[in-house]
Amino acid sequence: MVVLRAGLCPGLTEDMIQLLRANGIRTVVDFVSSDLEDVAQKCSLSYKALVAVRRVLLAQFSAFPANGADLYEELKSSTAILPTGSPSLDQLLDSGLYTGEVTELMGAPGSGKTQVCLGIAASVSLGLKQHVLFLDSTGGFTASRLYQILRAQTEDEEEQARQGLGRLRLCFVLQLEALQRIQVVRVFNIYELLSALQELRDRLSQQVVSSTGPLKMVLLDSVSAVIYPLLGGRQSEGLALMMQLSRELKTLAREFSLAVVVTNQVTRDSSTGPLKPALGRSWSFVPSTRVLLESKEATWGKGTTQRAASLAKSPRQPTGIQVELDIG
Amino acid sequence: MQREVGTLPLAPALRARLAAAGFQTAQELLDTGPCGLSKEIGISREEALEALQVVRQECHGDAARTAGGSGAARKCTALELLEEEQTQGFIITFCSALDNILGGGVQLTKITEICGAPGVGKTQLCMQLAVDVQIPECFGGVAGEAVFIDTEGSFMVDRVVEIAAACVQHCHLIAEAQQEEDHRKALETFSLENILSHIYYFRCRDYTELLAQVYLLPEFLSEHSKVRLVVIDGIAFPFRHDFEDLSLRTRLLNGLAQQLIIIANDHKSAVVLTNQMTTRIGQSQSTLVPALGESWGHAATVRLIFHWDNCQRLATLYKSPSQKESTIAYHITSHGFRDVQPPAVTLSTEGTELNPRKRPRTEEEKQ
Repeated sequence: MVVLRAGLCPGLTEDMIQLLRANGIRTVVDFVSSDLEDVAQKCSLSYKALVAVRRVLLAQFSAFPANGADLYEELKSSTAILPTGSPSLDQLLDSGLYTGEVTELMGAPGSGKTQVCLGIAASVSLGLKQHVLFLDSTGGFTASRLYQILRAQTEDEEEQARQGLGRLRLCFVLQLEALQRIQVVRVFNIYELLSALQELRDRLSQQVVSSTGPLKMVLLDSVSAVIYPLLGGRQSEGLALMMQLSRELKTLAREFSLAVVVTNQVTRDSSTGPLKPALGRSWSFVPSTRVLLESKEATWGKGTTQRAASLAKSPRQPTGIQVELDIG
Repeated sequence: MQREVGTLPLAPALRARLAAAGFQTAQELLDTGPCGLSKEIGISREEALEALQVVRQECHGDAARTAGGSGAARKCTALELLEEEQTQGFIITFCSALDNILGGGVQLTKITEICGAPGVGKTQLCMQLAVDVQIPECFGGVAGEAVFIDTEGSFMVDRVVEIAAACVQHCHLIAEAQQEEDHRKALETFSLENILSHIYYFRCRDYTELLAQVYLLPEFLSEHSKVRLVVIDGIAFPFRHDFEDLSLRTRLLNGLAQQLIIIANDHKSAVVLTNQMTTRIGQSQSTLVPALGESWGHAATVRLIFHWDNCQRLATLYKSPSQKESTIAYHITSHGFRDVQPPAVTLSTEGTELNPRKRPRTEEEKQ
């Protein structure tokens, strides 16, 4: 719905626009879909000029079909698969998190979503030496827990490396570098989140090689915390903002080859109904992969770090696969 | 500057009109100017001017942040956060088992929720924390003040006096045992009157008052910058009655949670909420679960559930970003919230050591 403006393309002058507007043609869509001979007569403009303008507008605003083979080649060269740091979760996700897609982790409170996100951030930053952006909207990001996870992961990797003090120092340096590659932004409402994503987009498109190097992963914990205060009641602007957010996330993932991970809550229809993901049907089309995290035991008092992850939606694997995770 | 109009914080009616008029990016809005804008969408010039100011602020904020400026920075690397966390204090609860499972005590900048059946000790813990937050730094506290928002009317001043007196006594004992200069100086200001005067008490009778109080809290906190604890005793009570529209309740609760996490983060204080329990009737049995629904469970960062086991009070850490799930026992004495006294282990070991040919040792000789 782009409004016709002078300078939108060469040949479209202010007078032309005024004449067109007087005849009810305000936007590009109106112009392109109208009968040009008719318009030329009513507005007393030259037919050739109108045809030329239409050609330029179509070239500028239409989408072009792409060849499937070209798309495949492009995907092969730009998609990466990022390991999550947990072999069973990698197996569930068909070897890891694919860039260019939005993956969702959902679960009840205490089921381990933030822990899995921290594990993913640690693995990508330490193992692949890529930068990670962590958008925290719940205040659950604890740097000391992240450091614990990093220590556990470096000890694994450096098993065969040099012994003694040299090895400890090496581990420590690796951990510090990994911590520096993870950037944390605290966003507590939807507009801050949208600003942060816009800023990320500007930075990536300008390719500012500053302290943030090659960014490959964006983690958003959690998306429902920012959207829930807008839904419900009688207002429909919440849904509009949710769709804006989803478009922003998906285009970021696709254009800059990022892997986007979001966490979501689960709700029940009534107090005895089954658990279902929050944010409704409109949001369910946004992530391409959905993983449900559950605690193994439903009783308290038995402190366990075992969780069950099951695949609820995936473009590549059959749904219903379940694996066990240890978030300890 | 290609920010879409839909992502700008404008009023919904205005946004709808802009979309109908065909504006897509913020740049187009800025190019049109206030007169053109007011003509195009049919609003007054003042409204157009205000809207453009908001847009300009957003875009400049973005540009400043991209260029590397600090912006409204809640942005930092994990390393900086780690350093911050390591220097942050905890609010101790005087029950060492509970402090251990929480990782040192109630954490600042996080929301902690305490759920439990009636009479299990939630308000007692809140009153204990309101006193403990004021412990001076040389004794291991955070030397802050407390805000107590009461919705149920269960705050008893005489009980707080008892708890505070016991706390001051405890610190006196430590100071005498260690004989350090700063301990003595700190004790001069740490007295009963001082403790009571630094607990700011608010009474809210229904959910509108509670929401209003929480939304006005940032101003209050910027005037009283030493506040390190905000307690809301009874967040479930105003929301469990008179609510026909459950989706409105969820929306209000989530807005409240967001506001609280902003307060916790910006003012570096701990927020403690108490919640009630409700029964979920399952297919074969019924269980006690925290009230206010599933979505409220995500609002708190740390969740503690207090429950009974015969006559023993137990506390379970149900949700935490950095600690494992575990359960401990605690006790409520006349001094406040305390550990369960370990059973007299020393007597039994003495019994086994007794050699009938030797005379039994007395306490002083053992020391």
